[in-house]
Amino acid sequence: MSCGGSAPRDYEAKVAGSRALGDGSGLIAVECEAIASAAEPGQFVMVRPGSCGDPFLGRPLAVAAASGGIFKMLYRVVGRGTELLASKRQGDSLVVRGPIGRGFFSSRGDTPLPKKVLLAGGSVGAAPLLFAARRLGMAKVAGVSMGVAGRGWEGFAEWLKESFPGVALFSDDGSVGTKGTALDGLPSELPADTEVWACGPQGMLRALAAKYPSDGARVRVALESRMACGMGGCLGCVIPTARGNRRVCVDGPVFTAEEVLWNEFAD
Amino acid sequence: MSSRTEMHVPLGGLNLESPVIIASGVWPYEAELWSPERLEGVGALCTKAVSLNGRAGNKGVRVWETPCGMLNSIGLQNSGVRSFLDDYLPLVRGANRPFLVNLVMESEREVRESIAALAEVPGIPAIELNISCPNVDGDGMAWGISAESAAKAVRIARSEWKGALWVKLTPQSPDLAGVAKAVEAEGADAIVCGNTWLGMAMDIKKKRPAFQRVVAGLSGPAVFPLALRTVWQVCGAVKIPVVGCGGVASWEDATAMLLAGASAVEVGAALFIDFELPRKIVAGLSAYLAEQKIDSVSGLTGLGRHE
Repeated sequence: MSCGGSAPRDYEAKVAGSRALGDGSGLIAVECEAIASAAEPGQFVMVRPGSCGDPFLGRPLAVAAASGGIFKMLYRVVGRGTELLASKRQGDSLVVRGPIGRGFFSSRGDTPLPKKVLLAGGSVGAAPLLFAARRLGMAKVAGVSMGVAGRGWEGFAEWLKESFPGVALFSDDGSVGTKGTALDGLPSELPADTEVWACGPQGMLRALAAKYPSDGARVRVALESRMACGMGGCLGCVIPTARGNRRVCVDGPVFTAEEVLWNEFAD
Repeated sequence: MSSRTEMHVPLGGLNLESPVIIASGVWPYEAELWSPERLEGVGALCTKAVSLNGRAGNKGVRVWETPCGMLNSIGLQNSGVRSFLDDYLPLVRGANRPFLVNLVMESEREVRESIAALAEVPGIPAIELNISCPNVDGDGMAWGISAESAAKAVRIARSEWKGALWVKLTPQSPDLAGVAKAVEAEGADAIVCGNTWLGMAMDIKKKRPAFQRVVAGLSGPAVFPLALRTVWQVCGAVKIPVVGCGGVASWEDATAMLLAGASAVEVGAALFIDFELPRKIVAGLSAYLAEQKIDSVSGLTGLGRHE
């Protein structure tokens, strides 16, 4: 029941820079040595962009990059919290809690890394995969497949191409890349010594688990969930697994597709 | 910096080094979070809810943000009293500060068995009895709704438990003063006033209530004025100490609770967003005492009630 790293802490941090990617998505860089030096791909931070308790809770956002005392996050404006985050400029303050959870590396326990990793992401789920690709080294990455909704995601798609040279790009409406989903860019059989690391909407991850029903142990997913605290306290983020309820925040967010009970997992 | 004596509060059978208590359902059993450094400013902790048998908790959405607060519908997820004693009590005891086992008031049989299990183990200083849960033997209403059923709950617990017994009221009661008097008459050592406030959320995308059980408990700064009012009422009704609980998010809130008659405060939702809150409350109270030339934090209790 303990978290992968040490329990997260709160930091008052400064925005080092932000870059709009168009249509409400963007990257924000934050100066925080403690988080930047400790974070691993798959871990996240709770960001509080507001003040005086409004909005009240932190927003869980995956770490997209971390080096030189700065970490980055990818966001898409979905409500007031992310709107505030998008309005932050260099030098503005943010309260950040992190790094939180067990990422793609520490959640493995003693399982050795595979020879090759396929990365599959949906929309801002690209964030931890970008970080993972950097840490793995592109030589280990067998392929990258990303999906977005379509119209309105053009700027984001351009950024994906820039970040993952050779990315297979899909969209629901076919307006960006090929019509389809990120799963269409993955082989029908998972090659030996290969794993899939994925992050994206729950429906996509459920479909991914269904695509490789007998290889669930080699499919690792970084999950999202509503949560209040990001320290394992509120039990708001639990998901049903073969080992009972597990907290996405500190028992995850990376799980194998095999351990998640997808049919009991509410949308 | 605060001295140990000015913040010291003897309260309901416990000796607290500060009047800030971590409310039930907040602090996880993550070893690192129980170190003295991470608990600076904390006078006591309430464990997460413990019931006789394990409970998986509620399915579906469990938390929902609201303006200046949050709704939760966790469903008292816990691994049962035996697991608590075996798996978590050593960690809780190791923090070397007073703690309360938050016990779910279930059926009479279940609560008697739970208390018997707790009583077998030395070194549990106090129980905080949660009477917000439904009385499944009775009318299905929460034990704490009426003075009569609250009295019955406390009578059962009191007859089994020799240690300190605090009782956590539910603000859903239309007769809080009556409930508080009944709880006092049955021998409780202190009252915690109160708990989350029933609310609900609608998921307008799904056109359905957000929570499977429809209703959920509201907490956070949004409920503070409501909680302060109930603390004022309850403190006017009983002589035993009262702990103010509901929306406390700053030292000013804590001070207001004390002035209204509380002897200490519990912090919950605000701790989800600020680990440092207990330390900040203690620092703020200490500065306030100095400015007001008041010797100790106990001297604040009920000061706001004097003409």
